[in-house]
Amino acid sequence: MDELVTETGAPRPHAAALMEFIHSLERDELLDRQQVAELDILTMGITFTVYSDGANIDRAWPFDIIPRVISGREWSQIERGLVQRLTALNRFIDDLYNDQQVIADGVFPADLLDDSVNFREQCRGVHPKHGVWAHISGSDLVRDDDGQMYVLEDNLRVPSGVSYVLENRAVTKRAFAEIFARQSIRPVDAYTDELNKLLTSLAPDGVANPQIVVLTPGVFNSAYFEHSFLAQRMGAELVEGADLAVGDDDCVYMRTIAGLERVHVIYRRIDDLFLDPEVFDPESMIGVPGLMRAWKAGNVGIANAPGAGVADDKVVYAWVPDFIRYYLGEEPIIPNVPTYRCMYDHERAFVIDNIADLVLKPANESGGYGILIGSRATDAQLAEAVEAIEADPRNWVAQPILSLSTVPTLIDHEIEPRHVDLRPFILTGERSYVTAGGLTRVALPKGSLVVNSSQGGGSKDTWIIDLHPASGA
Amino acid sequence: MALLSRVAERLYWGARYVERAEDTARIIRSYGDLIIDLPSDVPLRWEPLVELTGSEPLRGDGRGEREVMEFLIADTSNPSSIGTTVARARENLRTTREVLPREAWYALNALHQYVSSEAERAVGRRTRDRFLGRVIDDSRRLDGVLESTMTRANPYRMWRLGRLIERADMTTRVVGLRAASILQMRAEGYTQTQVQDPVTGQIQAISEATTFSEGDEPVRDDQDEVQWMSALRSVSALQMYQRATHGPIEGPSVVRFLLYYSAFPRSVQGCLDEIRAVLAQLPDPDTVVVALDKAEAVLASCDPGADDGVVLDAAMETVQAALADLGRAVDVRYLSLGG
Repeated sequence: MDELVTETGAPRPHAAALMEFIHSLERDELLDRQQVAELDILTMGITFTVYSDGANIDRAWPFDIIPRVISGREWSQIERGLVQRLTALNRFIDDLYNDQQVIADGVFPADLLDDSVNFREQCRGVHPKHGVWAHISGSDLVRDDDGQMYVLEDNLRVPSGVSYVLENRAVTKRAFAEIFARQSIRPVDAYTDELNKLLTSLAPDGVANPQIVVLTPGVFNSAYFEHSFLAQRMGAELVEGADLAVGDDDCVYMRTIAGLERVHVIYRRIDDLFLDPEVFDPESMIGVPGLMRAWKAGNVGIANAPGAGVADDKVVYAWVPDFIRYYLGEEPIIPNVPTYRCMYDHERAFVIDNIADLVLKPANESGGYGILIGSRATDAQLAEAVEAIEADPRNWVAQPILSLSTVPTLIDHEIEPRHVDLRPFILTGERSYVTAGGLTRVALPKGSLVVNSSQGGGSKDTWIIDLHPASGA
Repeated sequence: MALLSRVAERLYWGARYVERAEDTARIIRSYGDLIIDLPSDVPLRWEPLVELTGSEPLRGDGRGEREVMEFLIADTSNPSSIGTTVARARENLRTTREVLPREAWYALNALHQYVSSEAERAVGRRTRDRFLGRVIDDSRRLDGVLESTMTRANPYRMWRLGRLIERADMTTRVVGLRAASILQMRAEGYTQTQVQDPVTGQIQAISEATTFSEGDEPVRDDQDEVQWMSALRSVSALQMYQRATHGPIEGPSVVRFLLYYSAFPRSVQGCLDEIRAVLAQLPDPDTVVVALDKAEAVLASCDPGADDGVVLDAAMETVQAALADLGRAVDVRYLSLGG
């Protein structure tokens, strides 16, 4: 199905004003606006980094001018569903690192935990502030043919893309200035301020005006633009591991031209395993020796908390509805995509029998890597996949092939439907915050379902439109 | 406001690269004007411009206008070409966006796009002047943005420091370039005499061939004001020089102005004074101030003269060495992570 138009080609109510506006423009003018937007992206230096032939290339962010529109009423429901989901996930993580009641109660199998590559024994017994581990998360949503939104996966480690939500909006505002005045489109700009408040709340007790830093792996990281963007918007320092040091007092300091200065909160954008060579990978060049000591002593707040990734796992995903029931006593507001877990014999047998009709996913890869779409695979690829499943069943889950919804997209001077997903960002602390919409990623090749920008995907602005803003919901 | 040493390094070098690009553009522009102005029998060559940038002499036989312009404007293998310095400045600013006003980044990013697409064409004469003008204007615009919207704290000071040290160095190179052309003209047996244009009454420098050999009287080329005017233009100083001196444009006076006239912001002394003021506001600048004192002493005693290319050139080299020491002191004190 299409997000903006019905099967008969009529615009959906929340997209009516947009479609009318687009159709009122001469095609040349629409193309012209697309070009202006692309020029803006170049001038503003909105980029992402791709690895190609061993080199890092800074590429202009791919953007399609036609936004994706969601009604405010539907969105409010999704917001509640995301807050519910992240609340339950955080309860689960906190439980795993402390009492493990969820295992004792037989809700989550103990052997899954033993196999987890993202469980960090070093984090046992830690009580982060607010009981929250995954402060910043991005859950990928897709809409199937039946019109239902599903959660496809939860990114709880270092999800990226939120900077493009804000920049896409800035670009769209200029490209479609007229239409913003005519409609009630929910603003997205508050995100960085909300993030700043959240990070501030993670400071050690008694620190009123904490020094917040964004810890980046460095300029060659694919998300460096975002790291820089967030630091800039929050007035935080952007640091690399070498800029930080942990003193004998187990406090974290940064190296400034005036000497060492105390750091209170770290928004880390590097993976757990590289955080602290004393505790994790001793070869890590981008981490900070002693960081875990400082964190455990309560001398620095770290977001997301080390170990939070334990729940960012395509196998654990299958249990999230159970966690929502177990911890909150509620039914999930947004459903999971039905997920078959290859670790269980009967589910594995089903997967192997029906492999050509399923999407096969490795449990711990991100960025869309390692995914096999059964209906598009060759027999040899399918046989190879079966072998991989049997060799390491826990590492594989399978889901029915969803038909992702589409949004009209400018392709070579024509408007054509292209498949999209949506990544909203959720902040969880003392309270929760969800971006108004999120990052809509679009698969540009005809029929493609791969939306990742590292694999040729594009992006769109996402509008949450309240048709009746006076209703005061 | 905290300033990470690593960020300090990027700001400082970002500023130096922008300044180098701007100053190189100014110099190419005024030197190009000069060559066009001079009668065609004056064998002033493009080649000295290459040494101006502290680069190795060009390899091969290509030393004409096109080769030199290619080298200074577009050559990505030349670390001092406008293309390279703008790209490096952009990389330094891209990685310090969190401390800079966003308009500053936009200004430099736009310049980088322009330079990337236009540099190759600017090697030719037709679009060169517009290209150089854009580099100069955007560099000034960038400083304008920072001047009017950036908090006066250590990041701003570090930027200023980079600008000023590079600017002082480039001014000595403008004087050095003049020294080189004195030497070159002399070696080729040319000097210039000054005549009054019978129609306009203006003083013009006319070159004529003389015979020159070792042991002759020193050639009188202190009248070649066209070339000294060009040197002043290279640092946008001509008008200010005239207002300050009310005197004729002659070598010794111009050299004194460019080195010591501290009220002029591109004079070497003017830059050093500003550096001193910036250092006074940075944390624990003592070791850098020592290097600054030394540079100032070297400048005061460098005894440039203006007639003798060899002496002038040597004097500029000692000042450049002192400025390099000052740069090293900044590096050790502020830019190294251990600092």
